[in-house]
Amino acid sequence: MTMKRSSHLFHLHLGLVFAILLGSGCARSDRDAGGKDGAAVASKSSRVVLQNKGSDTLVNVAQAWADAYRDVKPGVAVAVTGGGSGTGISALLNGTVDIANSSRAMKEREMEMARSKGIEPIEHVAGFDALAVYLHPGNPLAEMSIEQLKAIYGEGGSLERWSQLGVEVPGCSSDEIVRISRQNNSGTYAYFKKTVLGKQGEYKLGSRDMHGSKDVVELVAATPCAIGYSGLAYANDHIKMPCIKNGTEAACVAPSVETAIDRSYPIARPLFLYTSGQPTGALKEYLDWILSDVGQCLILKKGYAPVKPAADCA
Amino acid sequence: MFEATERTLRDAQRERWVKAGLLVMTILLILPVAIILTVLVMRGAPMLSIEFLFEEPTNGMTAGGIFPALIGTIWLVIVALLASVPVGVAAAIYLSEYAPDNKLTRLINLAIINLAGVPSIVHALFGVGAFVIFAGFGTSILAASLTLAVMTLPVVIVSTRESLQAVPQAFRAACWNMGATRWQTIRRVVLPNAVSGILTGVILEVSRTAGETAPIMFTGAAFFLPFLPESVFDQTMALSLHLFVISTQVPNVPEGLPYGVALVLVGMVLTMNAISVALRTKLRGRRKW
Repeated sequence: MTMKRSSHLFHLHLGLVFAILLGSGCARSDRDAGGKDGAAVASKSSRVVLQNKGSDTLVNVAQAWADAYRDVKPGVAVAVTGGGSGTGISALLNGTVDIANSSRAMKEREMEMARSKGIEPIEHVAGFDALAVYLHPGNPLAEMSIEQLKAIYGEGGSLERWSQLGVEVPGCSSDEIVRISRQNNSGTYAYFKKTVLGKQGEYKLGSRDMHGSKDVVELVAATPCAIGYSGLAYANDHIKMPCIKNGTEAACVAPSVETAIDRSYPIARPLFLYTSGQPTGALKEYLDWILSDVGQCLILKKGYAPVKPAADCA
Repeated sequence: MFEATERTLRDAQRERWVKAGLLVMTILLILPVAIILTVLVMRGAPMLSIEFLFEEPTNGMTAGGIFPALIGTIWLVIVALLASVPVGVAAAIYLSEYAPDNKLTRLINLAIINLAGVPSIVHALFGVGAFVIFAGFGTSILAASLTLAVMTLPVVIVSTRESLQAVPQAFRAACWNMGATRWQTIRRVVLPNAVSGILTGVILEVSRTAGETAPIMFTGAAFFLPFLPESVFDQTMALSLHLFVISTQVPNVPEGLPYGVALVLVGMVLTMNAISVALRTKLRGRRKW
């Protein structure tokens, strides 16, 4: 008998724990219903939280925007998370973010998935990024062509050794071209693939796939044999960036904010912010602010090119 | 009169070699810990200051302090504890004091052992599915802490059950013979005698929770937040994730900064462990057997 009563008591306790958890769950859904479209959720202090997730290329400028926006609109807080362009877009499809950052355009397949879920993704161009090719500082190569990059990175490409490019790289006794690439949900990975390897192009197997732009740059800086690609914003003093020419006759253009703005640099790409439907309210204000001179100066300061020729940035 | 034969001498020689070999292995074991701590203290200590602990990160998280991450870690740990300790201790009491030795119980025990072996990244994905999306908590402290709680439940259950079983059976028998029910016995005799072990398990859980990155990365921790969490439904920054992002994603971070963050995190964990050891020693002194 005692046994039975006690186990009832135990179940009661367990039930209580779950009741508390469930109760708090209900509180959440109530609040969600009050929020607009379930997106911008106002917490009890009437603070509006905008969820911003995605591209590792954009994550640092997103952080700078969020940080600066505190002083512009103290009642609006922007939560920033990285993970890659693919992460942001799938979160947009799940309805868990307000803004998805992406360093590539959404694919048709993703658009269809969004529409089937009743989401109409709206694309906003927030700036441009020159995708720099990174080499070890000891590497004597000063210019490279898109064709060479394709032959190095692309499937079936013939370039495997630095000597094939006519250079001898100090410290790289194996002469092997060590290819550094990105994980496949990265927008940088997708953009490089489309622009350099061509529409049908695939990457050659055997590259080192890093999980972030900064990782690529650091590995290249430490590896004499290496070549890598990443946003220009991740450049530092320990690497070298060759100029890039599109075709053998074309002029060789060095990656810079200026050459990204005038689109003369061949591998510069737009950086996108996606919203679900036309933004309204606090979300619209935030996006307008990003495209204002203040927001665009911040993107410039982080090493990216603004959408329009920038006003005077202090 | 004892005289060392050749064989005895050889055995003695072998004994010395074995002892030396085992000693070397033990030192090898300590070496990585010692190196990690030395490097962390040497490179991280110059970063530490009151401002570092209590100020917000500035200049694109390359300067300033770590306060939001520190607070976030504390939130995550406390909420995870509130969720896992009642469930874990209750389950352990059931398994130790009530459960008959049958197939179901053995199955539960097996499940607990397997739960302990599940990699944290798998727990993370489970957390996304179960708490973030299905339960509708969104990316929040609640979702992250519940994920951590699920992950650390086996630790709590196993350590609690072990400390319950360490209480001599005679104590229970004596109590029952006085006419006490099982629950009265548990509450008045078993639990007071097992409390030191239970606390140790709980504190070990805390230290593990504080350091985890994968389970909170997708469920509640953010790269950057311009506010401090106010409720369990807010997202938060956390020390472990902060360390990860400033070492892999933020450009131009001063070299000492990641070491400083790592030192704070390790310091937190070691302090908790030290408290655990001290508490256990103190409470064990009170044992009646």
